[in-house]
Amino acid sequence: MTPAVVIIGSMALFWAAFLGVVVIPTVTMPDRPSDTWRATSAAEERGRRLYIADGCVYCHSQYVRPQDWAEGAQRIARAGDYARQQPPLLGSERTGPDLSQQGGEHPDDWHRAHFTNPRHTSPASVMPSFSFRSAAQIADLTRYVQSLGGKDADLRVARQQHWKGLAVAAYANGPDANVAWIHSKVPEVWRKMPNPYPATEASLARGQRIYELYCVGCHGPSGDGRGTAQPYLDPPPLNFALLRRNLIEGKYIGGVLYYQIMNGITGTAMPYFKTQLESAKIWDVSNYVAYNFIGYVDYPLRTDQIDAAYENAEPPPPKGFVKDQP
Amino acid sequence: MTPLNRLLDQFLPAHEHSAARRFLVSGAVWFCAGTLWGLIGAMHLAAPDFFRGIPWLEFGRIRPAHTTIVLLGFVTSALIGATLYILPVVLRTKLYGERVANLGMWVWNLAMLSGCISLPLGYTQGREYAELVFPIDCLVVIAFLCLTYSLVMTVATRHENVLYVSVWYGLGGVLWTAVLWVPGNVMWRPPGGAMIGIVDAVWLWWYGHNIFGLATTPMAVAVAYYIIPRIARKPLYSHTLSLIGFWTLLALYTHIGAHHLLQAPVPTWLKTVSVIDSVAMVVPVATVLVNLWLTMRGALREFADSWPGKLIFAGSIWYLITCIQGPLQSLPSVQRHTHFNNWVIGHAHIAVLGFAGMTALGGLWYVLPLVARRKVYSQPLIGLQYWLVLIGVAGFFVVLTAAGLIQGEVWNNGGTVYRTLPMIAPYLMARAMFGMLIIGGAFIGLYNVVMTLVRGEPHES
Ligand code: HEC
Ligand code: HEC
Ligand code: HEM
Ligand code: HEM
Repeated sequence: MTPAVVIIGSMALFWAAFLGVVVIPTVTMPDRPSDTWRATSAAEERGRRLYIADGCVYCHSQYVRPQDWAEGAQRIARAGDYARQQPPLLGSERTGPDLSQQGGEHPDDWHRAHFTNPRHTSPASVMPSFSFRSAAQIADLTRYVQSLGGKDADLRVARQQHWKGLAVAAYANGPDANVAWIHSKVPEVWRKMPNPYPATEASLARGQRIYELYCVGCHGPSGDGRGTAQPYLDPPPLNFALLRRNLIEGKYIGGVLYYQIMNGITGTAMPYFKTQLESAKIWDVSNYVAYNFIGYVDYPLRTDQIDAAYENAEPPPPKGFVKDQP
Repeated sequence: MTPLNRLLDQFLPAHEHSAARRFLVSGAVWFCAGTLWGLIGAMHLAAPDFFRGIPWLEFGRIRPAHTTIVLLGFVTSALIGATLYILPVVLRTKLYGERVANLGMWVWNLAMLSGCISLPLGYTQGREYAELVFPIDCLVVIAFLCLTYSLVMTVATRHENVLYVSVWYGLGGVLWTAVLWVPGNVMWRPPGGAMIGIVDAVWLWWYGHNIFGLATTPMAVAVAYYIIPRIARKPLYSHTLSLIGFWTLLALYTHIGAHHLLQAPVPTWLKTVSVIDSVAMVVPVATVLVNLWLTMRGALREFADSWPGKLIFAGSIWYLITCIQGPLQSLPSVQRHTHFNNWVIGHAHIAVLGFAGMTALGGLWYVLPLVARRKVYSQPLIGLQYWLVLIGVAGFFVVLTAAGLIQGEVWNNGGTVYRTLPMIAPYLMARAMFGMLIIGGAFIGLYNVVMTLVRGEPHES
């Protein structure tokens, strides 16, 4: 081969490929906004720039695929979701969860705690702490992640803000009134449901592991609500001991715990765990919370509803608590 | 001699092999720096609060520093160094414009140094492998234009009529990188350096894959094509195979960028082209490997006695593994399980470190004594480096692939990302440990390079 063949031939193939798989897509892919797309505000744009500077893109993708059940497969990514973005931040790794639908998943105070140190809210997280960013920068970053998901996210954020006002007001009314308020949102059938599974040693051991992996940063090692995230959160995490004098009809609590853990409390930092934990795990961690921090276990008030308990399992003797049984 | 002339001679010397030697040394230095950034990243994933509150050691900032410095600073510098020696030799001439090549060397190292500092400080375009900001992009292009000029003119002033296959790849490697960088970094749109909307992803990954296929791979193949026949003391097995390998590489590699976007919202026809051509990549890979290995046949003793030979041979094995894995993970049904997780990180390390990096080290140790006119200071230390890097990269492959499969299966069965974190923690810890072996190899290599230059026994080659 002559030098001319190498140079001209390779350049011809190179630019032909460029034409075929870069220029043609550029011409044929319109930058048309999708149904949920909206323009970004100045604060969100500043946050986006921080997102780029701090390399969030190396751990967080911004597109959901059909198989991503746990990551919000309610909405699969569409080309128009990225309109006007320079560059779109698709990402190639998922060390952390997908963020394309992140807006409104958590209230702002959760993000404040989380950006300061992700271990505050998520004990097993490997996300870096962004404590080196100023409060204003963290606020911008929060505005940006709250905007992810476009118009859908706006609806969720509005919902968070609506309930945030009510939750803060309820908290200001004092601890017992606050508990009464958060319980008032739990449907009747759940309020009057005991934990169908006994607080066996095995169940408590599983519950402890779950508690340490998901809850300890907020509710604290002794369940008093004074985890490391507490200073950032308003209202602060619940002190479970309060529930001892706020049992439903003086006897039920298992169903309330389950319902709240499953669905979270919108407007407060309490996240939902429906995607993280299967049903049995939620009952286990409820048992752990009830047994250790409330000092009261309501199994087996009613076993008529769920027939799947391990029949012969006996709860272990209480540790320093008086275990009430009807 | 005026002081200006002296300065010129000092920094842009005209004597033979000075640019090649300096590129090799740069590669050895950046190997240490780049893998240290990698270790900080790996430590972060194993113990995230270790560097808490130090902005320039935050994971998202050091990761692009790691990839840029190992890929460009280490692998590419060392391969350029070897290429600058090999091309003149097979063309039976001297490098044309040694001063220009030296200028390229300084500009290149300035670019690497700027990247090594600017990325941890958060100056980035935020596009994977195209992170360097506009002024540094300009430096990279200038450096590659200098090298292209020097090599094109070397070819033009050659005394050997036939162009050996290494010349095609070596010349191509620098030329293609120079022209690829501009559209890849969307350099006419500073400071963002990106297209607007989803189409930017198409641009980015066309560039992202080409940087491996048109910069790293051709230069590594050029080095292997020269050194393997030299060590085997035999002519290359087949000219026809080299021709097929060269043209199919160019025709196919340039179309497969969209296999990074198979699950993203880009046009299906583009994905289809990329999958078909990715599978067809078996052809250029197989022709190159068959050609190299058949050249080695019957000469294994020579390779057993030569550390550069072993490094290049190991590189060719990793090339095989990478390029069996590559087409497989381009299939949508496989990528369903491997995308977004550590499987891809495993692929990246066996490719860039196993194949290109080990080949670059082979080139470094083969060429350095020739351009320094000194014997290598210590052969056993090359051996030690060989084993440390080989065990390290094999370990990476095993633990990262395992972690990736765990992540992929949990996610596909409805598990959350958070839930996989405790499951992969031991593997990420093991990765940090294997990484230390590689870093050990990098520093031992640098020591050996420096000692070769100052203490190596002089010889006339
Ligand atoms: C080392 C990888 C890494 C980097 C870098 C990183 N994150 Fe994360 N991120 C994670 C992990 C892991 C999680 C899941 C655990 C948790 O909640 O912290 C997470 C969780 C999150 C969440 C909560 C998601 C949810 O659905 O609960 C948000 C929001 C977030 N990250 C935003 C960011 C932003 C913004 C940046 C950059 C400033 C960033 N992350 C950088 C790894 C990372
Ligand atoms: C990010 C912080 C945070 C995390 C993590 C968290 N919680 Fe909460 N949790 C809260 C806050 C805040 C409240 C109370 C809100 C209020 O007072 O309005 C709360 C309330 C609750 C309640 C409501 C009790 C009731 O009687 O209605 C339960 C139960 C609960 N948390 C259990 C858990 C469990 C179990 C986990 C772990 C699986 C957990 N929480 C993790 C912040 C958190
Ligand atoms: C037959 C040849 C090859 C094929 C078909 C191939 C295929 C692929 C595919 C499909 C991916 C994307 C995986 C994903 O994101 O899910 C990928 C990633 C990658 N490949 Fe290859 N590969 C090949 C050879 C190589 C070679 C030779 C190199 C290096 C010299 C290389 C370096 C990389 C790197 C670094 C990545 C990671 C990119 C990222 O950051 O996401 N590959 N490859
Ligand atoms: C010269 C040797 C090396 C080369 C060429 C290399 C190359 C790369 C490349 C191309 C990537 C990007 C992968 C992707 O996005 O798919 C990467 C990521 C990474 N590398 Fe390396 N690497 C080398 C050595 C090391 C060492 C020694 C360590 C650790 C001790 C290391 C740790 C990492 C880490 C932590 C990441 C980020 C992975 C993630 O995002 O989860 N690398 N490397």
